[in-house]
Amino acid sequence: MKKLIAAFGLALLITGCTASTPEKPTSLQAQYESALKNAQAAVDKAASVGGEWRDIRWKKSKKKYLPSAIKAAEAGDYEKALKLLEIVQFQAEAGYKQAMAQKNAGPRF
Amino acid sequence: MKKMLTLLLSAGLVATATQAISSPQEDLEKFRIHYEQRFPGIQLDEFGNGPYALDANKRLQWESMEEFPPYEEYVDKGREIWETPFKNGKSFASCFGKNVSKIRTKYPHWDKKTGKVVTLEGDINKCLKDNGEKPFGWKKGKIAYLGAFIGYEARGQKTNVVIPDDPKALQAYEEGKQFFYAKRGQLNAACADCHVYYPGQRVRGQVLSTALGQTTHFPVYRAKWAKKGKGDGMGTLHRRYGGCNKQVRARPFKAQSKEYRNLEFFHTYMSNGLEINAPGYRE
Repeated sequence: MKKLIAAFGLALLITGCTASTPEKPTSLQAQYESALKNAQAAVDKAASVGGEWRDIRWKKSKKKYLPSAIKAAEAGDYEKALKLLEIVQFQAEAGYKQAMAQKNAGPRF
Repeated sequence: MKKMLTLLLSAGLVATATQAISSPQEDLEKFRIHYEQRFPGIQLDEFGNGPYALDANKRLQWESMEEFPPYEEYVDKGREIWETPFKNGKSFASCFGKNVSKIRTKYPHWDKKTGKVVTLEGDINKCLKDNGEKPFGWKKGKIAYLGAFIGYEARGQKTNVVIPDDPKALQAYEEGKQFFYAKRGQLNAACADCHVYYPGQRVRGQVLSTALGQTTHFPVYRAKWAKKGKGDGMGTLHRRYGGCNKQVRARPFKAQSKEYRNLEFFHTYMSNGLEINAPGYRE
């Protein structure tokens, strides 16, 4: 009986391992792909009104969050990629809002 | 009460509308008054000396630099470029006319045909292309040397940008004005924030200059641009625009983009009447 329980436990463990190992990256990868799509759309929207910020993807920026996110994902580091895309999304949305708010900017005198 | 509210709202709307359609001349007058009140006692042409009109210590350092100005050799290089004929035997004089001293004050100007603001750099490269030559880079190097020579020859003449009574030209002017006053980048700062509202204040070791008079000394020799990897110190106005945008963490526009050409149109117009003193020296 003890042997049976041990074998059953082992089987569960193996199933658990095999099931969970591929599942995690697949899920993160899906999250990344969706986040990338959203971030790219937000950046394009900000750029369309001249509101893109420096560090999103400008070639001379030391940060280049968007290309760095893509690079991290290509290396399999989806967690890092997602964190970077969060910054991209925020900066792109803020840049767009800023540009829209400044549409009628003029002197204060 | 309702009548009163309607009246007040209408007055407000009229005031806003009036502000929105203020003419370039009205803008210029308000701009001047602002600086006259902020820096009483500083003569108009002194504003062309940037921070050196505002800070006595910086002025002393600048005056000693001007004894042997580092831009001088680039003015000479510009003269060489001007005098060197193209492969077809023509030269820059065939595009700009023989009198070099009459060129600088024509720029920037509105070109009705193309519906665009034309800059000196734009016409330099157009001249090269029209004559089968390879155009120069936009921000530094030969374009800045030639611009420095043309500016040097025009020293003492007054800035005189004309905004024609043409809706498209006025729109370009308005777009340049909006760009100048619009906050941008992660630091949420406009050109005007530093150079209209806080000139004379320091940003680290630098004294912020007034926007009035900024365009008169370009192309410029900047000590910062002479550091390793940055170039020989010389650069155009659009190089500087890009640098300013970068500093507020906005993505810079390309040199000679519509955004920067329109900005130059407004920015230079605000310095109408000030003497050309190009090339200048800046930290």
